[in-house]
Parts: sequence; structure tokens; C-alpha cells
Amino acid sequence: MKKDIRFVQGNEACVEAAMYAGLDFFAGYPITPSTEIAELLSYRLPIKGGKFIQMEDELSSMCAIIGASLTGKKVMTATSGPGFSLKQEAIGFAVMTETPCVIVNVQRGGPSTGLPTSGSQGDIMQARWGTHGEHSIIALTASNNQDLFAMTVEAFNLSETFRTPVILLLDEVVAHTRERLIMPKPGEINVVERLKTSVPEGTDFHPYLPREDGRLPMSDFGGVHRYNVTGLMHDMWGFPSNNPKIVYGLTHHLVDKIQGYTQEITKTKEFFIDDADCLLVSYGSSARTALHVVENRRARGEKLGLLELNTLWPFPSDIVRKRCACVNNVLVVEMNMGQILHEVKNAVAEPDKVFLANKIDGSFITPTDILNILRVIQGKGV
Amino acid sequence: MNNLIQIRLCGYGGQGVVLAGTILGHAAINDDKWVSGSNSYGAQARGGSARSEVVISENSITYPHVIKADILIAMSQTAYDEYIQDLAEQNAIVLYDDMIVHPRDINGVQQIGVPATKTSIDQLGNKQVANIVMLGASVVITGIVSKKSMISSIETNVGQRFKELNLKALNAGFALGKNYHRKKH
Repeated sequence: MKKDIRFVQGNEACVEAAMYAGLDFFAGYPITPSTEIAELLSYRLPIKGGKFIQMEDELSSMCAIIGASLTGKKVMTATSGPGFSLKQEAIGFAVMTETPCVIVNVQRGGPSTGLPTSGSQGDIMQARWGTHGEHSIIALTASNNQDLFAMTVEAFNLSETFRTPVILLLDEVVAHTRERLIMPKPGEINVVERLKTSVPEGTDFHPYLPREDGRLPMSDFGGVHRYNVTGLMHDMWGFPSNNPKIVYGLTHHLVDKIQGYTQEITKTKEFFIDDADCLLVSYGSSARTALHVVENRRARGEKLGLLELNTLWPFPSDIVRKRCACVNNVLVVEMNMGQILHEVKNAVAEPDKVFLANKIDGSFITPTDILNILRVIQGKGV
Repeated sequence: MNNLIQIRLCGYGGQGVVLAGTILGHAAINDDKWVSGSNSYGAQARGGSARSEVVISENSITYPHVIKADILIAMSQTAYDEYIQDLAEQNAIVLYDDMIVHPRDINGVQQIGVPATKTSIDQLGNKQVANIVMLGASVVITGIVSKKSMISSIETNVGQRFKELNLKALNAGFALGKNYHRKKH
């Protein structure tokens, strides 16, 4: 069969992947540079019998997808920095209630309304700690359409598997770069469906009573079981509790259920790593510039390599530590003041050999931006 | 690396340089090439200076934007003045709308004035398809994509109502392009 090759923007690839993953419900408040996601879904979703709602703001959009998810639907919302800030409270509610949902944040310059039409990678830490309280979270990213498709499907899969909000951290450059997308055939990428309870109607259902394997099956809210969902610390019935034992157990569970599976969740890509003496670490659109530099310098005989991170949270510390151990220098390439740089420094044995090549003026990071820093690291002067 | 072609289309908002970039990019996809397309994405896309970039390669593309243009297609004086500095050092070619742009002399760079807007008005009675006339001529002069792929790209990317007009504009551009030849290096 002939391949289905599209010429689409990253935002369109995200929509195609969400449909592939079985998206049923989208609520959003369109915002640059994520607008095409809402725009396209507004007609794509109803065609397949799904629901699209443009809500009055970002807070309600986030709450709407949580409600829809509890009723058994696969859900998503999409936004950018200012909207991502507004969603944080409800993201915490989704974390606490263990409600699967996907939040796309197409990053733009910030803080506040910042630079609406320019790319940035300034929300990496906000994705991790934007909502308050001890918790863990999953955040994924991609640098090209094909990976973006795969990571979007992965976002849905992980949200269902781990019963957690998953944040898809795109950026303006990836979202608006128009390139080819080979549409995966049905079945080509694994799609995870929700684990539903086998407790029959008429029998009490404990929404937070784990199975032997630790997983929590769900029952569609409003269906055959009555149960409570709350943002308060809760027991296995879902009712509020301040019993220290229960609070301790739930806090640990919310963190461990993700941190304990870091290796299974992590996705990275390696380019020219085996014999590299200088390793670039990057993600999202910045990784494209980093790879450009690596390929060009390889052609000149310089031993550069690239570790591209598709999973940002939980941070893949083990892989970063292992790959950085064999090189003389590490250069983190990102479009912020060093948010992943600090994570890399924390992960490696020799943090002093980790440097930053960044761009924070709203324009896209260029090969020259990286080469200027490389020259300094390699002792070739400024 | 060396089979990478960087094309920059520029003009003012409303001339359709963004659509032209998308059509060109899609044509290259139809030719089974790798493509990275991007365009100005601020208020300028709705007036002021507009820009569209298309990178075409036989292999996957890393850096997604144009660094130095191998081909500059200019539809306005402001855009021409802005981007004429960012040309590739070797074999660059500039194609400009001869009704709108007054070119400057630049050593070693072939510059061709194409009567795109004039043809659009005279032959098609509508200056709005000057972008497609320009694109048709550029494709014939540079050979970046095949004519067949351009036709099918127009059919994919232009609404039903304007398809016929755009296909006529494309053919007018193809015919115009035959009058010019790219210098061999």
C-alpha cells in the first residue's frame, strides 16, 4: 500500500496523532501559537462523534477535560504559556484524583503574555512544579513531525497507564514548521486503552484500591458505580482523610508511581554518541539546530554527539549520567536560561564540564549560537 | 548537506507569499523530497512585510529555517532590501517582480526581473494571483520542483473556487519562465 504522506505543521501532526490515539473530548481556549490544534479539532472531532468545546477560559477547559476523562473519555486540551499558568490549579486536581488527561503546551516567550508569536522553552520547570504540593508528572517533547506524532500517542498511552496528567511540551518552532508526516497505519503504533474495573454493578467499587500489580482500574463516573472524587487527601473510597498513614501512603504513591518507572517511561535518541568526546544534550526544536551542528562538525572530523531527550519529566538522569561520563565536555542546548542544564548538572559526576548554549531573545537558536560556545569550550577563543 | 536548497519568498502581507511557500513545499513533497517550511507568523502576515521559507533536500532536514538563501523570490521592495543581504555565497539567484522591485547591482548574483504582477493583471485580470505566476516562472527557471508536482500541489492547497484561476496563473508562469535561463556555474 502506498504511504500516506502529508505536508503539515507540527500542530496538525499533534491533532492527527490525538485522533489516532482515540481522542474523544477536547475543551480549550485557543491561544497563539497553539491555535491550530483547537481550530482543526473543532471540525475533526465532531465528525467522528467526539466532542469539542470552546470554553470561556483556560481554567474551565482544564476542569472540563478532567470531568470528561472521569466519565471514560480520552481527553486533551491545548494552550500556551499564559493559559498553562491558568491551568495549573486544575492540573493539581488531576494529579491528586489520578485522572488521565493530556495537556499540550506550545511554548512561547514569557513570562506573562510575553512574546506571543515567538518560540521558547521557558516552561520546562513550570511543567514539573507549576502546580503546588509534592507530586510527580510526565512531560514529553519532540523535535520533528514524525516524533511529535509518536510522542502525542505516547502521551495518551502514558496518561492511561499511569493515571496521570501528561504534558506535551511543544514550542512555536516545532508547532509551525511545516514538514512531511508519514501517517502511521492503524495498529502500527500501540494505543493503550483504559483499564476498567471488573467490579460488577451492585457491588461497592473502591476507586483508589489498587490491584495486586499496583494499578488502579477505573469506573466511568456516572455509570454503574457511585464513588467520590476529591482534591483533598483521600482514602481508598475516595473520601477525605487526614490520617497521617493515609496521607503518607498517597503522597508516596503519587510520586513513586511515576519516578519508579522512569526507565520504562524514558524515550531518548542518540546521534553519533559512541566515539563522541563532546556531547550536546538538547530537546524540542533546539535539538534540530544541535543535530545540524553535530552533522556538520562530524563531516570535518570533530567528534561531536547528540543526546536528544523526548522525555523531560521524569528526568532521565541515569541515561544522561551514563552518556556524559564518557565525554570531555557536555553542552546543553535550549531556549531558556538553563532549566535542563541544571538537571544535567545534577545528574552527572562532573558538573563543571557541563555548559550552556542558549537563546532567549525570541528568535530561534542558530548553528552559530552553538558554535560560538563550542569554540570557547574547545579553547579556540571567543 | 550539499543537496540542500534554501528558498526564501518575500513580499508584503496579502500577496500570498505564505501560500506560495506552502504550495512550493507541498510540490517538493510530491517529488518525494524532504521539506521544511516556515513563514512569518506575526501581525506582518496580515499586512507589512511577509516571508516564507522552504528548505528542500534529498535527506531529512535538521535546521528547519533558511540560513542563506540559494533562491530569493522578492515581491516587494522592502522585502527585497531586507533579504538581499542573506544570499548564499555561491550560485545564488534572485527572482523579483519587475513591476514592484528595483534591484541593486550585486556582484556575481544573477537577478531576473519577472513580470508576474503585470502578467497577472493583463492575462488573468486579477493581480491576486501574481504569487502563483511568480512561482510558476521560478519553478521553470530553477527546476527546484517538477511542473507536475506543482499542479497537484495547487489542486491540494487552493480552494475549489479559485482552483481554475490559480492553475491558469501557474501555466502563465510556466510560459514566462521559458524566457529566462539560469546561468550555469
